[in-house]
Amino acid sequence: MLNIISSRIGNAAKGVLIGACMMLGAGAHANADTNIAGKKVIFVPITMGISLTEGWARRMQQHADIHGYTIDIRDAAFNTGAMAELLAKAISEKPDVLVVHNPTVQLLSRQIKQAEAEGIRVLQINLQSNQPSSAFVGANWERIGREIAEDIVTECGEGSGKSGKVAIIPGQLTAADSVIMNQAAFKVFEGHKEIEVVSNQASDWEPEKARQITATVLQQHPDLCAIFGHWDVHTMGAGNAVKDAGVADDVLVYATGGGDDVACKAVEDKVLDRVWSYDADGQGRDAGTMIDLLLQGAAAADGSMLSVESPMKIIKAGDSYDPGLCWKM
Amino acid sequence: MLSVGRHKGKLLEIVVLAVTVVLVMAFSVTVDGFATLGNLRVILSNSASLVILSCGMAVVIISRGLDLSLIAVMVAGASTFSILINADVSALIALPVTMAAMVMVGLANGWLIAYVEIPAMLATLASAMFVTGLFRFAILRGEFMLILSKSNPAVVFLSGNILPGISTPVALMAATLVVTWFLLKYSAAGRTIYAMGDNFQAARLTGLPVRTTTIVVYVFAALTALCAGLLTSAASGAVDFRTVTNGTLLFEVILVVVLGGIPLRGGRGGVRNIIIGVALIAILRNGMTLLNFTSQMQDVLKGLVLIIAIVADNYLNPRDTETDTVGDL
Repeated sequence: MLNIISSRIGNAAKGVLIGACMMLGAGAHANADTNIAGKKVIFVPITMGISLTEGWARRMQQHADIHGYTIDIRDAAFNTGAMAELLAKAISEKPDVLVVHNPTVQLLSRQIKQAEAEGIRVLQINLQSNQPSSAFVGANWERIGREIAEDIVTECGEGSGKSGKVAIIPGQLTAADSVIMNQAAFKVFEGHKEIEVVSNQASDWEPEKARQITATVLQQHPDLCAIFGHWDVHTMGAGNAVKDAGVADDVLVYATGGGDDVACKAVEDKVLDRVWSYDADGQGRDAGTMIDLLLQGAAAADGSMLSVESPMKIIKAGDSYDPGLCWKM
Repeated sequence: MLSVGRHKGKLLEIVVLAVTVVLVMAFSVTVDGFATLGNLRVILSNSASLVILSCGMAVVIISRGLDLSLIAVMVAGASTFSILINADVSALIALPVTMAAMVMVGLANGWLIAYVEIPAMLATLASAMFVTGLFRFAILRGEFMLILSKSNPAVVFLSGNILPGISTPVALMAATLVVTWFLLKYSAAGRTIYAMGDNFQAARLTGLPVRTTTIVVYVFAALTALCAGLLTSAASGAVDFRTVTNGTLLFEVILVVVLGGIPLRGGRGGVRNIIIGVALIAILRNGMTLLNFTSQMQDVLKGLVLIIAIVADNYLNPRDTETDTVGDL
């Protein structure tokens, strides 16, 4: 009898618990919808029309559709002057969240500060300004620079039998990712005197400029061991120069990028050898989640910047090559 | 007056040539690997598309015109060809289709200038914007870049060697120089082009076919642009619309033509001037890349050398009321 009573009490307690959980869950869901539906988000990318930003926009739009807020995209089309104007206009429209893709560490810092001062939560995506804001979602450039440099030391350094000569092709010397990756890489190389950086010239993110730089550097240093390109798209120009010079088996071409299927195709074509992918598709989803949270008022307890680091996927040519590491639009 | 003009043109040529020779000597002494046959090949290969574009622009400028759509046509042509070959259309079909499309753009430019009588600068600026917009948004659907597979036979041909030791870009560059030389020197259209540049109204009043020749000039320029576009995209493995939007290549082409000694008011100059202008830019670019100068420093030095060349010319050939013509250096 006692057993039956205790069993009934137990079942009732379980029922109450499950019911409470369901109510809480439903309540929380309803609150999220009610709180953020109808809110306004503006995304100002460096440009649309590349897989990186298109991939982000697709995932962010999915979050906006689920929760009922809007995302407006203001395409600066690689024009930094236009970007500052677009951002100024976006701030004047007083959105709830502003998503900014910084071309350099300096360019938009004052406007980011102004937006935050006016109560607009600013999410910086992948490329960080030197002005902190509410949140950052993106790659850890220090880690990428360091890991690629360490890999280069393993492949070209002491005991490898190679020359140790490395060419670096940044996008722009003042771009956040190039600045941080170069600092991290040079820090690693400092401890390995056998590594010699023979060239460090920016390509302005253009494949043709990267190709011309590489063709010239290869002429002067035919024993070049590795090329470290700061973006897979422009590094493909460098990879093509290596391939055209007939030294694809001798020169390792490293790159980093959003990891769409074009990167995998380049690895298959032996244009790139190793790509540190920050998985733009995953970043888009992280950014969407962060926007949801910012719209619900999320903030770090100490007022610092909320930060989400993108997990890395390393795409390597050879036996371990896995095309599944790349994503497709 | 004509003899003064010719003398002045030659003086600028001599100054630019002298600066180039001084640079060659300085780089040969100070830069390892500069004075080698291999480096000469790299210089030729890297400047092939600049020479080809300059041939088109030179013919237009000699006829007292200006083609601001040259780079837009170059990238549009490369895009059309790339889209077709990426869709597995044979290059033998893709090439005539692309040529026909780009001839249409040249015809439209020529018709607007010759028959509608819109100033060349405005007509070609408008067509550049139209072509770029059409391709980016209607054909590429917002994409900024097209990636070309290095395994495609057409790409292999365009970026490889046509004969042992002679690359396709260098061979096409030489062919374009020969065709330009023949067009200007030995064809009836060539004589009309010089007459138009020298005195357009006089050429028209004497019954020369100035309208038909204008169309020939702009169609020729469009075809050179297409040729340069095919070579650049095959070499770097990408068609990049930022080449149009950042504008530096267009200025470089105009610079080459004017520095070589072809005045913007037209009427004189030839293939020799194109070669001299390109030589200065190509030597400077190559030497600075070998010296591992940053791209910003390269821009500063390039500007400095150009100012020196212009100031030297001004000193050697002071302006007077006859030679101080609008558009002249």
